[in-house]
Amino acid sequence: MLEILQNNWLLFLVGQYPHGPIGGLAMTLFMASISLALCFPFAIGLALARLSPYRWLRLPATAIVHTVRGLPLIMFIFWTYFFSPLVIGRAVGGVETLVIALVIYEAAYLSEIIRAGIEGLPKGQVEAATSLGLRYWPTTIKVVLPQALHNMLPSMVSQFVSTIKETSLGYVISAHELTFAAAQVNNVLLTQPFEVYGILALTYFALCFALTSLARFIERRISGDRGGTPGVTIAA
Amino acid sequence: MIRFENVDKWFGTLQVLADVSGEVRRGEVKVLVGPSGSGKSTLIRTVTRLEKIQSGRVSVDGADVAARGLDINRLRQRIGFVFQAYNLFPHLTALGNITLGLTKLRGLSKAAARERAMEELARVGLTGKAHEMPGLLSGGQRQRVAIARSLAMDPEVMLFDEPTSALDPEMVGEVLAAMKRLAAGGMTMICVTHEVGFAREVADEIWFMQAGRVIERGRPAELGDKATHPRLGAFLRKVEQSLGS
Repeated sequence: MLEILQNNWLLFLVGQYPHGPIGGLAMTLFMASISLALCFPFAIGLALARLSPYRWLRLPATAIVHTVRGLPLIMFIFWTYFFSPLVIGRAVGGVETLVIALVIYEAAYLSEIIRAGIEGLPKGQVEAATSLGLRYWPTTIKVVLPQALHNMLPSMVSQFVSTIKETSLGYVISAHELTFAAAQVNNVLLTQPFEVYGILALTYFALCFALTSLARFIERRISGDRGGTPGVTIAA
Repeated sequence: MIRFENVDKWFGTLQVLADVSGEVRRGEVKVLVGPSGSGKSTLIRTVTRLEKIQSGRVSVDGADVAARGLDINRLRQRIGFVFQAYNLFPHLTALGNITLGLTKLRGLSKAAARERAMEELARVGLTGKAHEMPGLLSGGQRQRVAIARSLAMDPEVMLFDEPTSALDPEMVGEVLAAMKRLAAGGMTMICVTHEVGFAREVADEIWFMQAGRVIERGRPAELGDKATHPRLGAFLRKVEQSLGS
Protein backbone atom coordinates (compact mmCIF):
# COMPACT_ATOMS: atom_id res chain seq x y z
CA MET A 1 0.00 0.00 0.00
CA LEU A 2 2.77 2.40 0.98
CA GLU A 3 4.64 1.56 -2.16
CA ILE A 4 1.60 2.32 -4.30
CA LEU A 5 1.25 5.61 -2.50
CA GLN A 6 4.95 6.39 -2.92
CA ASN A 7 4.76 5.84 -6.67
CA ASN A 8 1.43 7.49 -7.31
CA TRP A 9 0.89 10.16 -4.65
CA LEU A 10 1.08 12.96 -7.15
CA LEU A 11 -1.61 11.36 -9.32
CA PHE A 12 -3.87 10.98 -6.29
CA LEU A 13 -3.19 14.55 -5.30
CA VAL A 14 -3.46 16.53 -8.55
CA GLY A 15 -4.16 13.98 -11.31
CA GLN A 16 -2.04 14.18 -14.46
CA TYR A 17 -1.19 17.83 -13.85
CA PRO A 18 1.06 19.44 -15.17
CA HIS A 19 1.19 17.00 -18.08
CA GLY A 20 -2.56 16.77 -18.38
CA PRO A 21 -5.73 18.10 -16.80
CA ILE A 22 -5.67 18.78 -13.10
CA GLY A 23 -7.49 16.08 -11.17
CA GLY A 24 -7.26 13.93 -8.08
CA LEU A 25 -7.91 15.28 -4.61
CA ALA A 26 -7.33 18.86 -5.77
CA MET A 27 -10.13 18.60 -8.33
CA THR A 28 -12.43 16.86 -5.86
CA LEU A 29 -12.02 19.70 -3.39
CA PHE A 30 -12.30 22.32 -6.10
CA MET A 31 -15.52 20.86 -7.49
CA ALA A 32 -17.10 20.46 -4.06
CA SER A 33 -16.19 24.04 -3.06
CA ILE A 34 -17.22 25.70 -6.29
CA SER A 35 -20.50 23.77 -6.40
CA LEU A 36 -21.41 24.77 -2.89
CA ALA A 37 -20.38 28.38 -3.51
CA LEU A 38 -22.36 28.60 -6.75
CA CYS A 39 -25.46 26.95 -5.33
CA PHE A 40 -25.51 29.28 -2.32
CA PRO A 41 -27.48 32.16 -3.89
CA PHE A 42 -29.96 29.70 -5.40
CA ALA A 43 -30.35 27.96 -2.05
CA ILE A 44 -31.08 31.25 -0.28
CA GLY A 45 -33.56 32.18 -3.00
CA LEU A 46 -35.33 28.83 -2.72
CA ALA A 47 -35.43 29.00 1.07
CA LEU A 48 -36.91 32.52 1.06
CA ALA A 49 -39.41 31.55 -1.63
CA ARG A 50 -40.51 28.51 0.38
CA LEU A 51 -41.15 30.75 3.39
CA SER A 52 -42.87 33.42 1.32
CA PRO A 53 -46.46 34.37 2.13
CA TYR A 54 -47.11 34.43 -1.63
CA ARG A 55 -48.34 31.18 -3.14
CA TRP A 56 -46.93 31.92 -6.58
CA LEU A 57 -43.45 31.94 -5.04
CA ARG A 58 -43.95 29.26 -2.44
CA LEU A 59 -45.50 26.55 -4.59
CA PRO A 60 -42.95 26.41 -7.43
CA ALA A 61 -40.06 26.56 -4.96
CA THR A 62 -41.56 23.75 -2.92
CA ALA A 63 -42.11 21.72 -6.08
CA ILE A 64 -38.50 22.21 -7.17
CA VAL A 65 -37.09 21.21 -3.80
CA HIS A 66 -39.28 18.11 -3.55
CA THR A 67 -38.54 17.05 -7.11
CA VAL A 68 -34.79 17.38 -6.74
CA ARG A 69 -34.77 15.66 -3.37
CA GLY A 70 -36.82 12.83 -4.80
CA LEU A 71 -34.32 11.98 -7.52
CA PRO A 72 -30.86 10.41 -7.31
CA LEU A 73 -27.89 12.62 -8.09
CA ILE A 74 -26.67 10.30 -10.85
CA MET A 75 -29.81 11.20 -12.84
CA PHE A 76 -28.93 14.87 -12.72
CA ILE A 77 -25.43 14.01 -13.82
CA PHE A 78 -26.75 12.05 -16.80
CA TRP A 79 -29.28 14.74 -17.68
CA THR A 80 -26.68 17.47 -17.55
CA TYR A 81 -24.26 15.30 -19.45
CA PHE A 82 -26.64 14.58 -22.32
CA PHE A 83 -28.77 17.71 -22.39
CA SER A 84 -26.40 20.59 -21.67
CA PRO A 85 -24.53 20.12 -25.01
CA LEU A 86 -27.90 20.47 -26.75
CA VAL A 87 -28.64 23.67 -24.83
CA ILE A 88 -25.20 25.24 -24.98
CA GLY A 89 -24.39 23.96 -28.45
CA ARG A 90 -20.97 22.52 -27.67
CA ALA A 91 -19.50 19.57 -25.85
CA VAL A 92 -19.35 20.02 -22.11
CA GLY A 93 -16.51 18.51 -20.10
CA GLY A 94 -16.92 16.11 -17.21
CA VAL A 95 -15.98 18.67 -14.57
CA GLU A 96 -18.43 21.30 -15.83
CA THR A 97 -21.16 18.70 -16.09
CA LEU A 98 -20.61 17.53 -12.56
CA VAL A 99 -20.51 21.06 -11.19
CA ILE A 100 -23.78 21.98 -12.92
CA ALA A 101 -25.48 18.83 -11.64
CA LEU A 102 -24.14 19.39 -8.14
CA VAL A 103 -25.27 23.02 -8.07
CA ILE A 104 -28.84 22.00 -8.91
CA TYR A 105 -28.81 19.10 -6.50
CA GLU A 106 -27.10 20.84 -3.59
CA ALA A 107 -29.22 23.98 -3.95
CA ALA A 108 -32.27 21.95 -2.99
CA TYR A 109 -30.61 20.41 0.06
CA LEU A 110 -28.87 23.58 1.17
CA SER A 111 -32.13 25.52 0.82
CA GLU A 112 -33.72 23.15 3.33
CA ILE A 113 -30.86 23.76 5.75
CA ILE A 114 -31.23 27.52 5.36
CA ARG A 115 -35.00 27.28 5.71
CA ALA A 116 -34.58 25.33 8.93
CA GLY A 117 -32.16 28.00 10.12
CA ILE A 118 -34.62 30.79 9.39
CA GLU A 119 -37.53 28.94 10.96
CA GLY A 120 -35.40 28.16 14.00
CA LEU A 121 -34.93 31.84 14.83
CA PRO A 122 -37.09 33.18 17.65
CA LYS A 123 -40.17 34.92 16.27
CA GLY A 124 -39.22 38.00 18.24
CA GLN A 125 -36.27 38.72 15.98
CA VAL A 126 -38.43 39.53 12.98
CA GLU A 127 -40.96 41.26 15.23
CA ALA A 128 -38.27 43.50 16.68
CA ALA A 129 -37.01 44.42 13.23
CA THR A 130 -40.57 44.95 11.99
CA SER A 131 -41.35 47.11 15.00
CA LEU A 132 -38.44 49.38 14.19
CA GLY A 133 -40.07 49.90 10.82
CA LEU A 134 -37.68 47.79 8.76
CA ARG A 135 -39.12 46.31 5.59
CA TYR A 136 -38.74 42.75 4.33
CA TRP A 137 -35.34 43.01 2.64
CA PRO A 138 -33.44 44.96 5.30
CA THR A 139 -34.93 42.61 7.90
CA THR A 140 -33.91 39.56 5.89
CA ILE A 141 -30.44 40.76 5.02
CA LYS A 142 -29.47 42.44 8.27
CA VAL A 143 -31.33 40.40 10.89
CA VAL A 144 -32.57 37.04 9.61
CA LEU A 145 -29.89 35.69 7.30
CA PRO A 146 -26.81 36.59 9.36
CA GLN A 147 -28.25 34.67 12.31
CA ALA A 148 -29.71 31.79 10.32
CA LEU A 149 -26.51 31.21 8.36
CA HIS A 150 -24.37 31.50 11.46
CA ASN A 151 -26.50 28.96 13.32
CA MET A 152 -26.50 26.65 10.31
CA LEU A 153 -22.74 26.71 9.80
CA PRO A 154 -22.26 23.17 11.20
CA SER A 155 -24.97 21.83 8.87
CA MET A 156 -23.33 23.56 5.95
CA VAL A 157 -20.00 21.93 6.72
CA SER A 158 -21.85 18.59 6.85
CA GLN A 159 -23.34 19.42 3.47
CA PHE A 160 -19.84 20.12 2.18
CA VAL A 161 -18.81 16.67 3.39
CA SER A 162 -21.61 14.98 1.51
CA THR A 163 -20.80 17.06 -1.56
CA ILE A 164 -17.21 15.80 -1.43
CA LYS A 165 -18.46 12.25 -1.36
CA GLU A 166 -20.89 12.94 -4.20
CA THR A 167 -18.16 14.22 -6.48
CA SER A 168 -16.98 10.59 -6.72
CA LEU A 169 -19.95 10.03 -9.02
CA GLY A 170 -18.07 12.18 -11.50
CA TYR A 171 -16.14 9.01 -12.28
CA VAL A 172 -18.96 7.77 -14.51
CA ILE A 173 -18.64 10.80 -16.79
CA SER A 174 -14.83 10.86 -16.63
CA ALA A 175 -14.52 13.97 -14.50
CA HIS A 176 -10.92 13.91 -13.39
CA GLU A 177 -11.32 13.71 -9.63
CA LEU A 178 -10.04 11.52 -6.85
CA THR A 179 -11.95 8.34 -7.68
CA PHE A 180 -11.00 8.72 -11.32
CA ALA A 181 -7.34 9.00 -10.31
CA ALA A 182 -7.62 5.86 -8.21
CA ALA A 183 -9.18 4.01 -11.14
CA GLN A 184 -6.29 5.13 -13.34
CA VAL A 185 -3.78 3.81 -10.84
CA ASN A 186 -5.73 0.58 -10.60
CA ASN A 187 -5.73 0.21 -14.37
CA VAL A 188 -1.95 0.53 -14.43
CA LEU A 189 -1.29 -1.87 -11.57
CA LEU A 190 -4.13 -4.25 -12.45
CA THR A 191 -3.43 -6.69 -9.62
CA GLN A 192 -3.89 -4.61 -6.48
CA PRO A 193 -7.44 -3.22 -6.49
CA PHE A 194 -7.88 -3.77 -2.77
CA GLU A 195 -4.86 -1.65 -1.90
CA VAL A 196 -5.64 1.06 -4.44
CA TYR A 197 -9.25 1.48 -3.39
CA GLY A 198 -8.14 1.17 0.22
CA ILE A 199 -6.03 4.28 -0.26
CA LEU A 200 -9.01 5.96 -1.91
CA ALA A 201 -11.27 5.08 1.02
CA LEU A 202 -8.74 6.27 3.59
CA THR A 203 -8.28 9.57 1.77
CA TYR A 204 -12.02 10.27 1.64
CA PHE A 205 -12.40 9.20 5.24
CA ALA A 206 -9.57 11.36 6.56
CA LEU A 207 -10.92 14.39 4.74
CA CYS A 208 -14.55 13.90 5.67
CA PHE A 209 -13.83 12.94 9.25
CA ALA A 210 -11.71 16.05 9.72
CA LEU A 211 -14.50 18.21 8.33
CA THR A 212 -17.17 16.51 10.42
CA SER A 213 -15.05 17.14 13.50
CA LEU A 214 -14.77 20.76 12.45
CA ALA A 215 -18.56 20.91 12.20
CA ARG A 216 -18.88 19.55 15.74
CA PHE A 217 -16.34 22.07 16.98
CA ILE A 218 -18.19 24.97 15.35
CA GLU A 219 -21.44 23.72 16.79
CA ARG A 220 -20.03 23.81 20.30
CA ARG A 221 -18.64 27.29 19.71
CA ILE A 222 -21.96 28.58 18.45
CA SER A 223 -24.02 27.20 21.31
CA GLY A 224 -21.41 28.69 23.63
CA ASP A 225 -21.19 32.25 22.43
CA ARG A 226 -24.89 32.90 21.90
CA GLY A 227 -25.89 31.54 25.28
CA GLY A 228 -27.74 28.32 24.41
CA THR A 229 -29.67 27.69 21.18
CA PRO A 230 -27.32 25.13 19.62
CA GLY A 231 -27.32 24.95 15.85
CA VAL A 232 -29.30 22.10 14.44
CA THR A 233 -27.17 19.68 12.48
CA ILE A 234 -28.95 17.95 9.67
CA ALA A 235 -27.24 14.64 9.03
CA ALA A 236 -25.60 14.49 5.63
CA MET B 1 -53.69 59.89 19.67
CA ILE B 2 -54.34 56.13 19.80
CA ARG B 3 -57.92 55.03 19.67
CA PHE B 4 -59.43 51.57 19.96
CA GLU B 5 -62.99 51.26 18.72
CA ASN B 6 -64.93 48.05 19.33
CA VAL B 7 -61.90 45.91 18.61
CA ASP B 8 -62.50 42.18 18.22
CA LYS B 9 -59.87 39.58 17.60
CA TRP B 10 -59.96 35.81 17.45
CA PHE B 11 -57.20 33.22 17.43
CA GLY B 12 -59.14 30.51 15.63
CA THR B 13 -62.30 30.09 17.70
CA LEU B 14 -60.84 31.75 20.78
CA GLN B 15 -61.83 35.36 21.17
CA VAL B 16 -58.84 37.21 22.62
CA LEU B 17 -60.16 40.75 22.28
CA ALA B 18 -63.83 41.49 22.75
CA ASP B 19 -65.31 44.87 21.99
CA VAL B 20 -62.36 46.84 23.33
CA SER B 21 -62.68 50.60 23.13
CA GLY B 22 -60.57 53.31 24.61
CA GLU B 23 -58.34 56.22 23.89
CA VAL B 24 -54.80 57.21 24.75
CA ARG B 25 -54.13 60.90 24.45
CA ARG B 26 -50.79 62.46 23.71
CA GLY B 27 -48.60 62.54 26.79
CA GLU B 28 -50.72 60.04 28.68
CA VAL B 29 -49.43 56.92 30.37
CA LYS B 30 -51.86 54.00 30.38
CA VAL B 31 -51.05 50.84 32.27
CA LEU B 32 -52.76 47.60 31.30
CA VAL B 33 -53.13 45.00 34.02
CA GLY B 34 -54.97 41.72 34.27
CA PRO B 35 -54.42 37.99 34.50
CA SER B 36 -52.31 36.33 31.84
CA GLY B 37 -54.22 35.50 28.71
CA SER B 38 -56.54 38.44 29.21
CA GLY B 39 -55.49 40.10 25.95
CA LYS B 40 -53.27 42.92 27.26
CA SER B 41 -50.29 42.13 25.05
CA THR B 42 -52.48 41.38 22.08
CA LEU B 43 -54.15 44.75 22.46
CA ILE B 44 -50.95 46.78 22.28
CA ARG B 45 -49.67 44.57 19.46
CA THR B 46 -52.65 45.65 17.35
CA VAL B 47 -51.41 49.25 17.41
CA THR B 48 -48.53 48.51 15.03
CA ARG B 49 -50.34 45.70 13.27
CA LEU B 50 -48.18 42.99 14.81
CA GLU B 51 -51.60 41.44 15.28
CA LYS B 52 -54.44 41.94 12.83
CA ILE B 53 -57.92 42.45 14.13
CA GLN B 54 -61.10 40.93 12.75
CA SER B 55 -63.46 43.80 13.42
CA GLY B 56 -63.44 47.26 14.93
CA ARG B 57 -60.85 49.92 14.35
CA VAL B 58 -57.46 50.87 15.75
CA SER B 59 -56.26 54.30 14.74
CA VAL B 60 -53.23 56.45 15.38
CA ASP B 61 -53.80 60.19 14.97
CA GLY B 62 -57.04 59.33 13.20
CA ALA B 63 -55.41 57.01 10.65
CA ASP B 64 -56.74 53.44 10.61
CA VAL B 65 -53.72 51.14 11.08
CA ALA B 66 -55.43 48.44 9.00
CA ALA B 67 -55.98 50.75 6.03
CA ARG B 68 -54.51 49.50 2.78
CA GLY B 69 -53.02 52.82 1.78
CA LEU B 70 -51.26 53.30 5.11
CA ASP B 71 -47.47 53.06 5.12
CA ILE B 72 -47.30 50.69 8.08
CA ASN B 73 -43.50 50.80 8.24
CA ARG B 74 -43.54 54.56 8.56
CA LEU B 75 -46.11 54.25 11.34
CA ARG B 76 -43.97 51.66 13.10
CA GLN B 77 -41.04 54.07 13.07
CA ARG B 78 -43.18 56.49 15.09
CA ILE B 79 -44.13 53.86 17.67
CA GLY B 80 -41.50 52.22 19.84
CA PHE B 81 -42.14 48.68 21.01
CA VAL B 82 -40.36 47.01 23.92
CA PHE B 83 -40.76 43.25 24.27
CA GLN B 84 -40.77 41.00 27.30
CA ALA B 85 -37.97 38.91 25.76
CA TYR B 86 -35.95 42.05 24.78
CA ASN B 87 -35.48 40.68 21.24
CA LEU B 88 -32.10 42.27 20.81
CA PHE B 89 -30.29 41.17 17.67
CA PRO B 90 -27.73 38.74 19.13
CA HIS B 91 -25.30 39.08 16.22
CA LEU B 92 -24.90 42.83 16.69
CA THR B 93 -23.29 44.77 19.55
CA ALA B 94 -25.43 46.92 21.81
CA LEU B 95 -24.40 49.86 19.64
CA GLY B 96 -25.09 47.94 16.42
CA ASN B 97 -28.58 47.11 17.64
CA ILE B 98 -29.33 50.80 17.92
CA THR B 99 -27.59 52.05 14.79
CA LEU B 100 -29.32 49.52 12.49
CA GLY B 101 -32.61 51.43 12.35
CA LEU B 102 -30.84 54.78 12.21
CA THR B 103 -28.74 53.92 9.16
CA LYS B 104 -31.36 51.82 7.36
CA LEU B 105 -34.42 53.93 8.07
CA ARG B 106 -33.27 57.40 9.00
CA GLY B 107 -30.52 57.44 6.40
CA LEU B 108 -27.98 58.60 8.96
CA SER B 109 -24.29 58.18 8.18
CA LYS B 110 -22.48 55.58 10.24
CA ALA B 111 -20.77 58.25 12.31
CA ALA B 112 -23.97 60.20 12.95
CA ALA B 113 -25.86 57.02 13.83
CA ARG B 114 -23.12 56.02 16.23
CA GLU B 115 -23.24 59.40 17.92
CA ARG B 116 -27.03 59.26 18.23
CA ALA B 117 -26.87 55.71 19.57
CA MET B 118 -24.28 56.68 22.18
CA GLU B 119 -26.60 59.45 23.39
CA GLU B 120 -29.38 56.92 23.91
CA LEU B 121 -27.05 54.46 25.63
CA ALA B 122 -25.95 57.26 27.94
CA ARG B 123 -29.59 58.00 28.77
CA VAL B 124 -30.07 54.41 29.98
CA GLY B 125 -26.67 54.41 31.68
CA LEU B 126 -24.93 51.92 29.41
CA THR B 127 -22.23 53.92 27.69
CA GLY B 128 -19.64 51.40 28.85
CA LYS B 129 -21.47 48.49 27.28
CA ALA B 130 -21.72 49.92 23.75
CA HIS B 131 -19.44 47.33 22.22
CA GLU B 132 -20.67 44.30 24.16
CA MET B 133 -22.66 41.56 22.46
CA PRO B 134 -26.15 41.16 23.94
CA GLY B 135 -25.29 37.65 25.10
CA LEU B 136 -22.81 39.11 27.57
CA LEU B 137 -25.23 41.63 29.08
CA SER B 138 -27.51 41.01 32.03
CA GLY B 139 -31.28 40.90 31.48
CA GLY B 140 -31.73 44.39 32.85
CA GLN B 141 -28.98 45.74 30.63
CA ARG B 142 -30.45 44.02 27.59
CA GLN B 143 -33.84 45.52 28.23
CA ARG B 144 -32.31 48.95 28.64
CA VAL B 145 -30.51 48.54 25.31
CA ALA B 146 -33.84 47.52 23.79
CA ILE B 147 -35.44 50.67 25.19
CA ALA B 148 -32.56 52.76 23.85
CA ARG B 149 -32.98 51.07 20.45
CA SER B 150 -36.61 52.16 20.33
CA LEU B 151 -35.95 55.65 21.63
CA ALA B 152 -33.24 56.29 19.07
CA MET B 153 -35.95 56.35 16.41
CA ASP B 154 -37.56 59.35 18.20
CA PRO B 155 -40.93 57.65 18.64
CA GLU B 156 -44.04 59.59 19.59
CA VAL B 157 -45.43 56.64 21.51
CA MET B 158 -43.79 53.82 23.43
CA LEU B 159 -45.49 50.47 23.91
CA PHE B 160 -44.14 48.20 26.64
CA ASP B 161 -45.13 44.54 26.64
CA GLU B 162 -44.29 43.21 30.12
CA PRO B 163 -40.78 44.68 29.96
CA THR B 164 -39.78 43.45 33.42
CA SER B 165 -41.49 40.05 33.54
CA ALA B 166 -38.46 38.12 32.31
CA LEU B 167 -36.07 39.89 34.66
CA ASP B 168 -34.58 38.80 37.95
CA PRO B 169 -36.09 40.90 40.76
CA GLU B 170 -32.92 42.89 41.39
CA MET B 171 -32.91 44.13 37.80
CA VAL B 172 -36.52 45.24 37.64
CA GLY B 173 -35.73 48.57 39.27
CA GLU B 174 -33.23 49.76 36.68
CA VAL B 175 -35.69 49.16 33.84
CA LEU B 176 -38.59 50.76 35.70
CA ALA B 177 -36.39 53.75 36.45
CA ALA B 178 -35.74 54.23 32.74
CA MET B 179 -39.46 54.00 32.06
CA LYS B 180 -40.30 56.48 34.81
CA ARG B 181 -37.85 59.00 33.39
CA LEU B 182 -39.50 58.56 30.03
CA ALA B 183 -42.95 59.13 31.49
CA ALA B 184 -41.73 62.19 33.38
CA GLY B 185 -40.42 63.53 30.09
CA GLY B 186 -43.94 63.51 28.67
CA MET B 187 -43.77 60.41 26.48
CA THR B 188 -47.06 58.83 25.49
CA MET B 189 -46.93 55.28 26.78
CA ILE B 190 -48.98 52.12 27.01
CA CYS B 191 -47.45 49.64 29.44
CA VAL B 192 -48.49 46.08 30.02
CA THR B 193 -47.02 45.25 33.41
CA HIS B 194 -47.57 43.53 36.72
CA GLU B 195 -45.59 46.20 38.52
CA VAL B 196 -48.33 47.65 40.67
CA GLY B 197 -46.05 50.19 42.29
CA PHE B 198 -45.05 51.52 38.89
CA ALA B 199 -48.68 51.64 37.83
CA ARG B 200 -49.71 53.61 40.93
CA GLU B 201 -46.85 56.04 40.55
CA VAL B 202 -46.78 56.69 36.83
CA ALA B 203 -50.13 55.77 35.27
CA ASP B 204 -52.67 58.38 34.32
CA GLU B 205 -55.15 55.56 34.07
CA ILE B 206 -55.08 51.82 34.68
CA TRP B 207 -57.10 49.49 32.48
CA PHE B 208 -58.04 46.15 33.96
CA MET B 209 -58.52 43.43 31.36
CA GLN B 210 -60.08 40.04 31.71
CA ALA B 211 -61.03 37.52 29.02
CA GLY B 212 -60.35 39.99 26.22
CA ARG B 213 -62.36 42.86 27.68
CA VAL B 214 -61.41 46.04 29.48
CA ILE B 215 -63.72 45.56 32.43
CA GLU B 216 -62.61 48.42 34.67
CA ARG B 217 -60.61 51.60 34.30
CA GLY B 218 -59.46 53.93 36.97
CA ARG B 219 -57.00 56.56 38.03
CA PRO B 220 -54.48 55.26 40.54
CA ALA B 221 -55.83 57.58 43.22
CA GLU B 222 -59.31 56.09 42.94
CA LEU B 223 -58.21 52.50 43.37
CA GLY B 224 -58.77 52.42 47.10
CA ASP B 225 -62.45 52.93 46.41
CA LYS B 226 -63.88 49.43 46.48
CA ALA B 227 -67.30 50.53 45.35
CA THR B 228 -66.26 51.82 41.95
CA HIS B 229 -63.41 49.46 41.16
CA PRO B 230 -64.01 46.22 43.03
CA ARG B 231 -62.26 43.82 40.68
CA LEU B 232 -59.34 46.02 39.71
CA GLY B 233 -58.61 46.87 43.34
CA ALA B 234 -58.83 43.22 44.34
CA PHE B 235 -56.53 42.20 41.51
CA LEU B 236 -53.92 44.80 42.37
CA ARG B 237 -53.96 43.81 46.04
CA LYS B 238 -53.53 40.18 45.09
CA VAL B 239 -50.57 40.96 42.84
CA GLU B 240 -49.00 43.12 45.56
CA GLN B 241 -49.44 40.37 48.13
CA SER B 242 -47.94 37.66 45.94
CA LEU B 243 -44.94 39.84 45.16
CA GLY B 244 -44.55 40.87 48.78
CA SER B 245 -44.45 37.31 50.06
